[in-house]
Amino acid sequence: MKVSELVKQGVFKTFNEPGDKEIKGVYISDMVSDIIGIGPGNLLVTLQTHKNLIAAANLVDVAAIVFTRGKTPTDDVVALANKAGIGLLGFEGDTWTLAKKLYELGVR
Amino acid sequence: MKQKFMSAKKSESNCRHRWVMTNVRNGYLVVEGCFHCRQRTSFFSEEPVPPQDDYREGDHFWSYLGSSQASKFDLKCEECSEEVPLKNVMALMLCMRCDPECGVYKAGSAEKGSKTWVYVALCADTSHAKRRCVTKPGIKALNEYFNRGIQDRQKKIIVVSCDSRKSVDTCEGLVLADVGLTEIY
Repeated sequence: MKVSELVKQGVFKTFNEPGDKEIKGVYISDMVSDIIGIGPGNLLVTLQTHKNLIAAANLVDVAAIVFTRGKTPTDDVVALANKAGIGLLGFEGDTWTLAKKLYELGVR
Repeated sequence: MKQKFMSAKKSESNCRHRWVMTNVRNGYLVVEGCFHCRQRTSFFSEEPVPPQDDYREGDHFWSYLGSSQASKFDLKCEECSEEVPLKNVMALMLCMRCDPECGVYKAGSAEKGSKTWVYVALCADTSHAKRRCVTKPGIKALNEYFNRGIQDRQKKIIVVSCDSRKSVDTCEGLVLADVGLTEIY
């Protein structure tokens, strides 16, 4: 599934242009030092909204980032994500609820 | 016998490496500074709580400056089993292009296009007083590893060693480590 197709499901808030990358998997983590170990194309689900997270997500070429529990990135974080071509999505519920939702939507 | 060894080496070097992370260790990146000479050093600690003791080492008086959760890894080729140890890589840092005079900035400027991102492999000897930094095979393997499978063909990751950085004091890079999560200790 592509990020644009996921956004069309109407479940997410978008903080920037979500892009059209292919989602090859999902990874849930709140630690930058953990994220650098994942492969490219993952949808990254996290609570963290700081710039270092975008730097790590860019390094491992994530498909997009979903912030759970209604977390909102600041303007400078969005600007860095825009430059990196990383779509930033928001989800009001908790991470576990999102995990179930993604599975229901066909993201594996 | 010598000939056989050489041909084996040649076939190794011809391998189109498919690097994977191996020996992944979780711990702390601890930064220390010497108040005497103002040099900085860092090390990776796998202890449950990062050490914060001041100590003397020769002419240096090392004091704890801070720590962050980090992970270390080596790279191993799935094809030829070659392993590149990255013992001296303490963390990676995204260059924010703050100083056109900096060698890291120039490394990014040499590439055309805005989709080039430069990351710095930070070694333990932050001030490079011992004139040692991350090895060239390590930098080469990191470049190959982080450029695999990128969806956008125009995007490029460049990893450079930290000895190309102009100044550790004025650098505005984003270090890929989890600062502040365990400062309660």
